[in-house]
Amino acid sequence: MPFFRRLAVFAALLLAPGLAMAKDELVIGITQFPAAFHPSIESMLAKTYILGLARRPLTAFDAQWKLVCMLCTELPTLENGLAKREGKGIAVTYTLRPDARWGDGTPVSSDDAVFTWLVGRHPLSGVASRELYQRITRVEVKGPRTFILHFDRTTFDYNAVNDFALLPAHIERPRFESAPAEYRNRTAFEQDTTNPGLYNGPFHITEVVQGSAVVLAFNPQWTGPRPAFNRIVVKTIENTAALEANLLSGGVDMIAGELGLPLDQALAFEKRQGNRFVVTTKPSLVYEHIDLNLTSPILADVRVRRALLLAADRATLTKQLFAGRQPVAHALVPQLDWVHADDLPKYPYDPAKAAALLDEAGWKLSGGIRRNAKGDPLAVELATTAGNRSRELVAQVLQAQWRKAGIEVRLVAQPPRVFFGDTVTKRRFPHLAMFAWYSAPESVPRSQLHSSMVPEADNNWAGQNYTGYADPDMDQLIDAIEVELDRVKRKRLWRDLQVKYATDLPALPLYFRADAHIWPKALKGVVPTGHQDPSTLWVEQWRWE
Amino acid sequence: MTRLVVSRLMQSVVVLLAMSVVVYGLMGLMPGDPIDLMIASDPHLSPLEAARLKALYGLDKPWTERYLRWLGQVMQGEFGYSRLYAKPVGTAMAPALANTVLLMLTALGVALAVALPLGILAAAKAGRWIDGAINLLAFASVSVPTFWLGLMLILLFAVALGWLPAGGVDSLSGGERLRHLVLPAATLAMAGLGQFARHMRAALLGEAAADYVRTARAKGCGPLRVLLRHQLRNALLPVTTILALELGGLFSGALITETVFAWPGMGRLIFEAVMGNDFNLALSGLLLATAMTLVGSILADLAYAGLDPRVRLG
Amino acid sequence: MRALPAFGAVLLALLSAVALAGPLLGLDAEAVDLMARYAPPSSEHPLGTDELGRDVLARLLAGGRVSLAVAAATALVAAALGTVIGLVAGAVGGRVDAVLMRLTDGVMALPLLPLLIVLAALDWTKLGVPVEALNSEAFAVGRLVAIIALVGWTTVARLVRAAALSVKARDYVRAAVAVGVGPVRIMRRHILPNVASPLLVATTLSVGNIILVESALSFLGLGVRAPLASWGNMLTGAMDVAVSAPQLALWPGLAIFLTVLAFNLVGDGLQRALDPRG
Repeated sequence: MPFFRRLAVFAALLLAPGLAMAKDELVIGITQFPAAFHPSIESMLAKTYILGLARRPLTAFDAQWKLVCMLCTELPTLENGLAKREGKGIAVTYTLRPDARWGDGTPVSSDDAVFTWLVGRHPLSGVASRELYQRITRVEVKGPRTFILHFDRTTFDYNAVNDFALLPAHIERPRFESAPAEYRNRTAFEQDTTNPGLYNGPFHITEVVQGSAVVLAFNPQWTGPRPAFNRIVVKTIENTAALEANLLSGGVDMIAGELGLPLDQALAFEKRQGNRFVVTTKPSLVYEHIDLNLTSPILADVRVRRALLLAADRATLTKQLFAGRQPVAHALVPQLDWVHADDLPKYPYDPAKAAALLDEAGWKLSGGIRRNAKGDPLAVELATTAGNRSRELVAQVLQAQWRKAGIEVRLVAQPPRVFFGDTVTKRRFPHLAMFAWYSAPESVPRSQLHSSMVPEADNNWAGQNYTGYADPDMDQLIDAIEVELDRVKRKRLWRDLQVKYATDLPALPLYFRADAHIWPKALKGVVPTGHQDPSTLWVEQWRWE
Repeated sequence: MTRLVVSRLMQSVVVLLAMSVVVYGLMGLMPGDPIDLMIASDPHLSPLEAARLKALYGLDKPWTERYLRWLGQVMQGEFGYSRLYAKPVGTAMAPALANTVLLMLTALGVALAVALPLGILAAAKAGRWIDGAINLLAFASVSVPTFWLGLMLILLFAVALGWLPAGGVDSLSGGERLRHLVLPAATLAMAGLGQFARHMRAALLGEAAADYVRTARAKGCGPLRVLLRHQLRNALLPVTTILALELGGLFSGALITETVFAWPGMGRLIFEAVMGNDFNLALSGLLLATAMTLVGSILADLAYAGLDPRVRLG
Repeated sequence: MRALPAFGAVLLALLSAVALAGPLLGLDAEAVDLMARYAPPSSEHPLGTDELGRDVLARLLAGGRVSLAVAAATALVAAALGTVIGLVAGAVGGRVDAVLMRLTDGVMALPLLPLLIVLAALDWTKLGVPVEALNSEAFAVGRLVAIIALVGWTTVARLVRAAALSVKARDYVRAAVAVGVGPVRIMRRHILPNVASPLLVATTLSVGNIILVESALSFLGLGVRAPLASWGNMLTGAMDVAVSAPQLALWPGLAIFLTVLAFNLVGDGLQRALDPRG
């Protein structure tokens, strides 16, 4: 029966577990596929993560949330003389590391910086956020590796140019100059993604299997510490149950926290597989909160806002749902940020105090629900995004807790497209809207809290002050922080801002999200950052043991 | 015959046109264009910048105007760039198309290989318990939610037993790729075999009453021989027809299975293009899927006319 | 063989009885207990609890009511739509018939799932639906019913048209037309009674399909949304934790499977009982 024998061999081939992974290879699982690869056109987390392996920015925030030089030799400051004030603006001098080279051997140069600036400020280039590039009035070349960025105004973060993603001028210039409006499609990052000359990091992209994997190989031009792997495969598996199954069956070695399992899934995983895998959670600067529509008569009363927070048992919620890994937020600045302040008004779970506040505000309990003098019930609507599992669960818990306090809550879950495209951005939520802010360390909440940033039909829905919060003191604090270069004074201003926020409660702080990074016990050196600069920027420190 | 084909093709073009208008309009009614979403995720994007980007992507014009321009380009064979992938639509679609065809053909092959013998067996033993059992199996196959079935298969074969990968297509070729194909293809095949088995059985039994069968039986042919020799040949016709009609559905209907198994195929691509407001890619994908259905139904009619002399179309 | 439809019918009766009896059992499907998450089955929670400590059985029953109601409503709307279109096409004939049948062919050729996705993600305010109405549960369910019915009427339309054509050709109907009986009366007296049984069969069979479609849409995050429970969105919720708590995915999936199976078996049984050729 040769046929059956052949069939048996075939079946054995099919069922044999994958060949033992060569130790100089690492397979990372993430939940999103990077649609495009240009570093500054459209931001996407998966792209940032993968490019972290292949490219290095001029400056970045490290795992301690401190600004460090990556491609430059020394962080320019006013103190070391590399930054100089000139009128309202400031001139900042950067020198590129002498060993910084593109993957084809061409040195990274000042010419690249000039070209990057030209692309960034060109109105047709498709670069999403031109703010940084427009603040730079001139790029002055002082030498092949030294250039000066002239900014039109002086802010405390003058030397943070994390988003100034250097482009290889020798490859990109002809593609850009022939037709700037077509550049976003014709850039080598999209048309010739595997060109090593596009990358200056320890790895370069060698293969893109659309929708499923990006393969990277060691970049021989890299002169930094030698990474422990010759090959890294970043696999995309959107379904998190399938992703987890892949980790267990050896299809992927580790799951990146930046784009990984939801926290409760990761915690359940840790319980069962904690002996084989390390599950690290690091509180990030992703701030989960509930924006309150302050134009609603119910929520215009600060006593009601405080009562809502007092009646919500956030400590138990994060303890039970997230094993306490997501710290309760008391204002909008996370603990890891150096400007975080702790001496704020806080609202620990206190149903009695909440009840007293509501009584005082005229909402009396009658038959399980609170009503005002007119007999209107205390009923609010809580809008959230559908599909974000953790958020949906938290919303349902809050609903149950508030019900106990006599507050009727109706949940409305909307697809993110509707929620962010319309409900929140056009302030169409009647009472409460639950979502998260992503920001950088020490990022000034001007667009969220300044009174000039309330989106309105008149200003074409500009700004992100969705609550409609307007307070002259807060405006002043924001204006002052932005231009205060003295760290001690600035920290004091930041404290005042947080106290003001926690007193007025334009939004209800819930918790800071924590990403769950999962890797095998044998892998060492992965350090989650908790902010938008991914852990892959330090991939050369990752080791098998 | 030629006239028929021409008129059917004309109808198909009308359907495609109508569909493209409707889908274009509907996508215009989806909340928030891509630039709005960009603003939501980037606090530093000023309204001026947003307006600039909208103009750059042509999103500032009313949808009717954008549609007409798109149609004009398509008429010249120019399907444009995918906004999401920053690639020509064809280039963005090709790998997904290849993945889908691979998955579909495998699933279809497995489904037929299992379903046809089951259908024949059921017809041969019509009315007996085995017929009932096959019937129940067939109904079970069309009643199971595919994503649940997929998930259960993952839990069993990938997690509990560790025999097969849980999803994804590996960049490695050959055996590794085949291993990744097993679970999604099995899921799709399981969900599809029921209807093939039922159609096979029904077609065979439909033939059983035909005169030629009675003649053959009268001549002394055994029932099994008649079934396989005479009925089967004629019964394959309606089954082929069903197959042709299924073409387009298979094409876009695998979305759920593709999602569960992280299989980057057409269903997934269309879904992402629709949700990401990538008009060029979404429309081309949808048009291709619809065109497949239409071509399938024309083929089904032709097969009918060509294979069965009793059928005359006109 | 005969036992299958009966088995389906019993299954169906049982499922509906249990789903309808849910409220009488005094179970609260929305009672959250953070201290009892993922509890194993006990006398208090016969099927255990879910990720928020809610009783799985209670949610299964509540979800069943929603799923069954959505499916039944959708099937009826689709059948009504299909009947009207099929009747008009068959009874009026001529150019109207040709246009309606081309429309039917066209809709049948459309890729169903992607189209439903587009429909499910629409911004209804752009069509003039007020925001308050939009966020009500009634609208959420009605929206789903409407969009699935919008693409689900074609089978019925074809059936009804075919029946109408064959009835129209019969002598007594021709005679009725000849003596001046109006078309509406013809439809009501002669055509409708004749299409009743294929209509019943098609509608029964479609219920199962609609439950599957609803669960698929919920799986993609576009169906019935939390906190309203449906089998589809219970399953979606359970997907994330399927590896650690597979039982949560097992029950709603099994419920969908059995219900769809029951509808299909009953539909098939009806078909054979009502079809004189069978």
